[in-house]
Amino acid sequence: MPSTALTDAGPAIRTEGLSKRYGRRVLALDGVDLTVSPGQVFGFLGPNGAGKSTTIRILLGMSRPSAGRAWVCGVPASDVRRAHRLVAYVPADVALWPQLTGAETLELLGNVGPGVDTAYRAELVERFELDPSRRARTYSSGNRQKVALVAAFATRAPLLVLDEPTSGLDPLMEQQFQHAVGEARERGQTVFLSSHQLAEVEAVCDRVAILRAGRLVDVAAVSALRSLHRNEIEAGYAGPVPDVAALAGVAHVETPRPGVLRLSHTGPPGPVLRALAAGDPQFLRIREPSLEEIFLGYYGEADR
Amino acid sequence: MNAITADAPVVQRVLPRSGAAIAGWAVRSIRRGALVLVVAVAGMTGVVAATYAEVIAGAPGGVDSLRALVQNPAIRTLFGEPLALDTAGGFTVWRTGAAIAVILGMWSILSATRLFRGEEDTGRWALLVAGTLSTTAVTARVLAVIAAVPVLAGVGVTAVLVVAGTPSLGAVLHGTGLALTGLAFAGVGALSAQLFSRRAAAVGAATAVLPAGLLVRMVGDGVLGLGRLRWLSPFGLTAETAPFYADRLAPLLVLAAVTAVVLAVACTVAGHRDIGEGLLPERAGRSRAHLCLLRSPKGFAARTVMAPWVGWSLGVGAFFLLIGLLTVSLTGFLTDNAAFADLATRAGFGLDTAAGYAATMFALLALPAGGFAVARISVLAADESSRRLALLLAAPLTRTRFLVANIAVAVAATVLLTGVAGLAFALGAGVVDTPLGPGQVLAGAFNTLPVALLGLGAAVLALGWAPRFIGFIGAVPTVGGFLWLVIAQSVGAPRWIENVSPFAHLAAVPAEPVDWAAGALMLLGSVALGGVGLAAWRRRDLRTA
Repeated sequence: MPSTALTDAGPAIRTEGLSKRYGRRVLALDGVDLTVSPGQVFGFLGPNGAGKSTTIRILLGMSRPSAGRAWVCGVPASDVRRAHRLVAYVPADVALWPQLTGAETLELLGNVGPGVDTAYRAELVERFELDPSRRARTYSSGNRQKVALVAAFATRAPLLVLDEPTSGLDPLMEQQFQHAVGEARERGQTVFLSSHQLAEVEAVCDRVAILRAGRLVDVAAVSALRSLHRNEIEAGYAGPVPDVAALAGVAHVETPRPGVLRLSHTGPPGPVLRALAAGDPQFLRIREPSLEEIFLGYYGEADR
Repeated sequence: MNAITADAPVVQRVLPRSGAAIAGWAVRSIRRGALVLVVAVAGMTGVVAATYAEVIAGAPGGVDSLRALVQNPAIRTLFGEPLALDTAGGFTVWRTGAAIAVILGMWSILSATRLFRGEEDTGRWALLVAGTLSTTAVTARVLAVIAAVPVLAGVGVTAVLVVAGTPSLGAVLHGTGLALTGLAFAGVGALSAQLFSRRAAAVGAATAVLPAGLLVRMVGDGVLGLGRLRWLSPFGLTAETAPFYADRLAPLLVLAAVTAVVLAVACTVAGHRDIGEGLLPERAGRSRAHLCLLRSPKGFAARTVMAPWVGWSLGVGAFFLLIGLLTVSLTGFLTDNAAFADLATRAGFGLDTAAGYAATMFALLALPAGGFAVARISVLAADESSRRLALLLAAPLTRTRFLVANIAVAVAATVLLTGVAGLAFALGAGVVDTPLGPGQVLAGAFNTLPVALLGLGAAVLALGWAPRFIGFIGAVPTVGGFLWLVIAQSVGAPRWIENVSPFAHLAAVPAEPVDWAAGALMLLGSVALGGVGLAAWRRRDLRTA
């Protein structure tokens, strides 16, 4: 079984001081140390140009690191003949051979790849609502992405490397994608998912690494990121607005228009709610900010 | 109202700029190649014209030997009807005109299909036509930029001929003829880019027009007494002009009129079809998948090569079938002109027999065979930069194995293409009952294979070191070597300069025995070039754009 082979080999992905320079001026990656344990769904987050694709291309032996080393399931990433037996890959911005139909492309990728479960592949084609009889040149970018995703999920490779795989998918297909990631996790496959969408990572990942300007900012469990969650509270008053600024856990108090109070709050909500209720509110809205907003705040700090 | 008045000057300023921006983009896309082309074409003309007096003085028997030589059908087929060889202008037109016309035509076709269909294939064209200009207007501006290059080349040729002291009327007519030929093929390329929805198909269809035009001229060059056919081909029309001899204007007017129509049609059609599609409908899919040759990278390479191979084989096959058929006029010529063989031999040309004729014509085979092989590597580079290759190279196989498999398929296809050319010639020669046996003919065809493979080796080298210049570098041993030898011989250059060209080392098979040592050395050279390229490609990062 692939999963046993993986446990023997140690981490599914390991990098040591990985750096990549383009010419003299651009430092795309700067000493990235990353370890991904087998069986995890691992999110690789960062804004555009952070170096996510560069890292992935090094992991697949398509780019050479300027410094540092990378291993895939214990095999050096440059030894593609051995390493690629253990990896399935979905590139960012999938390009296909325009003259091949979807079915022919899947056949080609299945034959040259690390082995394929054809029954599951047929099921995935159904679930992703892919018309395999059409030539790739007639596919939209979302459909091209589906072809690459079906080809990757249908392999039994212990590691799936997916580079922004859902950028062209509609919400319904994104659900199918998350479902397929769940099935891969159940089979014991490791999924390395690069993304700039926090909702996606929040929905499917166990752990997340945050990359920014070529540097690893943080690696944490997704649940740990969630503990940063806070409540955004907005309350409207006919009369005077209560003063809550001094209460524990309250921050960013503002009055965007007269009679409206906005604040953010962490910790036990009792004292704040009591203070807000005392002022006879006309309305009260409590909202949990998205991980995206937390993440942006996080970046804001890292930026300084 | 106020807002509109305030905005109006801005809009007025933007409109003329978008046209300039499109033209600027087109100039940036072609300027380097265009510069090399114009300099090469003018330089080639200048060198031959300037050294004319010296060469003729040095030739055994002077102009007379040359005149006898050029009555040889093989020479006439290759270079066109020789006229006014006793003038520097006439000699230059005869010796360089056909080659320059082909080069200009080929450049125009490749540039037009690249800027139109190539850009549309990648989706970038949609960005250009999404601007303020109509698609027809954008197409016209890009086409104008492409057209400027053969015009510049024509002006350059005229200028160097005038400077070299030839009569200006002939110089102007020759330069105009070359420019119009380039323009005509820019139109053919642009039109083909509107018809077909894939770049490869557009290039293939447009390129097929070029050898077809050459064939029509060759047949019309009096060898079979069908002179009027020449009015159907750009190459024939420029020959009809006969610069420095008859200086006729009418053929150029015909060529100009036809060219204008083709260019106008291409621009109009561009505005009357869906972006991303061709005018000719292509099937959107097939319910039953064709699963053969999808099992391995080598199989897939074979599958990809199949359609282009059939196309090239048809073109090359038709060409050499006709060349084979033309041997009849040669044998007739030889029996009628017993004195000729003697003169030709003394002049150092091995063209006094059917075998010599076959050998001379087969040397040409290295050009299309090399071009075909180089195109296979170009396709690979396009797959790489479009990121398709990433899907295949994510599979458990090394880049070395992948590239070697693709090279092996390219070599096999080139060998088969060479075989098709040999068989076609043998068929043609057999029909007209010449003394050449099929074995001799095939030996002549395969004798040129090492030169074509040198081109392939150079292309692989370029894939590793300079992937953007595969076409150019791959053409150096074949097209470059051929032109080098033509110029070196035309200007009477020393032997060692001639020897730089691989064509100087081709034995005239079947007139002479095969030079195994030279062939082996060339094969070794191509393996070395390919090896260096492979090592570089294995180590470098895959390109993503």
